[in-house]
Amino acid sequence: MSKERRNLLLNIMGILVLFVILYLFNEYGTDYQIRILNNMAVFITLAVSYNLVNGICGILHLGPNAFITIGAYTSALLTMSAAEKQMTYIIVPLVWPLNVLHTPFVVSLLLGGLMAAVFAFAISFPVFRVRGDYLAIVTLGFGEVIRVLANALQGVTNGPLGLKGLVPYTNLWWSWGVAVLTIIAITKLINSSYGRAMKSIREDEIAARAMGIDPFKHLLMAFLISAFFCGVAGGLLAHLITTISPTLFTFFLTFNLLIIIVVGGLGSTTGAVIGAALFAWGGEALRIVERPTDLGFLKIPGIPGMRMVIFSIILMLVIIFARRGIMGRSEFSWDWLLSKLGWKEKGF
Amino acid sequence: MQKNSLLALALVTSLVFFGPAAQATAADTIKIGAYLPMTGAVAAYGEMENAGIEIARSMEPEVLGKKIEVILVDTKSDKIEAANAVTLLVEKEKVVGILGEAISGNTMAGNPISEAAKIPSVSPTATNPLVNQGKQYAFRACFIDPFQGEVAARFALNELKAKTAAVIIDIAQDYCVGLGNFFVKEFVKNGGKIVSTTYIQTGDQDFSAQLSAVQAANPDVIYAPNYYTEDALMAKQARDLGIKAPILTGDGAQADALIEIGGAAVEGMYFTGHFHKDAATTERSKQYIKLYEEKFKKEADAFGALGADAYFLLVDAIKRAASTDGTKIRDALQDTKDFQGVSGIITMGEDGNPIKSMVINKVQDGKFVYVTTVNP
Repeated sequence: MSKERRNLLLNIMGILVLFVILYLFNEYGTDYQIRILNNMAVFITLAVSYNLVNGICGILHLGPNAFITIGAYTSALLTMSAAEKQMTYIIVPLVWPLNVLHTPFVVSLLLGGLMAAVFAFAISFPVFRVRGDYLAIVTLGFGEVIRVLANALQGVTNGPLGLKGLVPYTNLWWSWGVAVLTIIAITKLINSSYGRAMKSIREDEIAARAMGIDPFKHLLMAFLISAFFCGVAGGLLAHLITTISPTLFTFFLTFNLLIIIVVGGLGSTTGAVIGAALFAWGGEALRIVERPTDLGFLKIPGIPGMRMVIFSIILMLVIIFARRGIMGRSEFSWDWLLSKLGWKEKGF
Repeated sequence: MQKNSLLALALVTSLVFFGPAAQATAADTIKIGAYLPMTGAVAAYGEMENAGIEIARSMEPEVLGKKIEVILVDTKSDKIEAANAVTLLVEKEKVVGILGEAISGNTMAGNPISEAAKIPSVSPTATNPLVNQGKQYAFRACFIDPFQGEVAARFALNELKAKTAAVIIDIAQDYCVGLGNFFVKEFVKNGGKIVSTTYIQTGDQDFSAQLSAVQAANPDVIYAPNYYTEDALMAKQARDLGIKAPILTGDGAQADALIEIGGAAVEGMYFTGHFHKDAATTERSKQYIKLYEEKFKKEADAFGALGADAYFLLVDAIKRAASTDGTKIRDALQDTKDFQGVSGIITMGEDGNPIKSMVINKVQDGKFVYVTTVNP
């Protein structure tokens, strides 16, 4: 058996095992565990797609919250029932044709992703005229523009009042299905010639250009794909918490994603997955430290915010001891795992 | 090595988290959950409400012969965390009722979950009309934004004798948009005229563009239902421009910082609000104010009072239901009638929105003074 076939087999088995675990949680787990697993999957999708631009292409892009906003609103407006829409828009009625449009969940997710990608395409021309800190500022600006528009366009987004009453379509299958698809798609892309071109742009754009690589074309591709998946994840997020408003999509969301990919290891998809998983579940697991505890001889009152302190300490430790994040730029591979397990490579 | 130790750490914590939930529920306590923004952007609201709940619990620590335990969970002022927090309270803590959240957007993330679990929730201060819409198990202790906007309009027409009004709305806040729009509706319906409508954003510092439009329209009253920072700066700039019209606003502006920032410019500003300690009429509110001021050495505020009322309403419903069954508590909450709360007398109306009186306050000599009470 060749190495490729073995790895393919192991990949398929890995995914099957994941879905068996998810099935077990779906059947026997509590709603609380399921909710955290859902959050985890959404953040994995976001982090992996965000990492494509920031880690692989080496571009400091600070506007994923714009794409998530567009995806979330598009998908939410497409699945809300006409009655719910009429009840929700109490100040300015929803504009035609959004007030009558209704699509199945999967279509709304895809359209959410597409709308985000269309917006990414529109802003890519000014964005990629600059690099470095300037690009960071331009993307940050577009992120804010979208948030302000979400507040101002009351006939479309219901302004700061937000949308509510979305059907909780997002379950483990949807969220993890999308997360797995995102990981597969983005890993395939990274390992293709396009991905290698993107990495060469990250390392040295002038050298890459000298080798005949068109930076704009490749960066645009990464940007659009990243925006698409961010949009889809936005739709999933909206149908997970069943209500959205512009306050959900502030720069803080971008900031969290940035922390996730830096801690995981900038440029590593595995790192993005680990970072997102730690982030989504670590915050909840650390709630223990905020509960008042009675040790018999000592009573500790619960201090809200304590888990943030501990979370920050963990972050600092990671950055001090693993300067390039948990994974650095390396990826998980079966070869590595098998050699760790003592598997001896047989000659072919 | 580092990778291995991190992996080990992850495994240990996952055991803690995914392991069986400790069923340490003592049978002699009744658990009430509170999910509040104790950290993050609106941590101040969470803190004030929690202080109110604490005082309320010291006043009524028991129900049905059992001790009440309040389990506080932080939401980081965030929707995702709010949804997590309510699931945690419902599933792991098995609470009989829920208090919170302070902000409407987060309450909308939390209450579909408690609704699905048939556990009643009472929000102290989620004033957005959408919060309880179509919900059976969601209640609140505050009146909603449309009511406050309407009362402000009637006050402007009848008490301030205004015929024309200019409206300045902070477009980034659901609260401000709600108040502003319902003020306009009521004001126009009763024969008033809106001569200028302008918008600002939270965080704005310069209001000269909006204020010059106001100045050109020369209104009898300016309605600016925004938060205290923007209102204080706006009032200063308005007075500097020579605009003399009285300014009317909502309870979001009623904070000590308003007077600190605004100084003489906010003198004479009117507020519609939930609570003023001089308007306290019920026995419960007098006792609450005494205990609060003894403990925290400062004046009782509206957020604390509403936090306490949320607690009292829930406990009263448990008492009348004589049960910890979610549906029975829900029915009792809906039947609440002439309840003597801290912030006034509360009767539960349709959709879990209370019908209660409103106070009107004013800044006078650098202090908030009570003007009058408006009944619904």
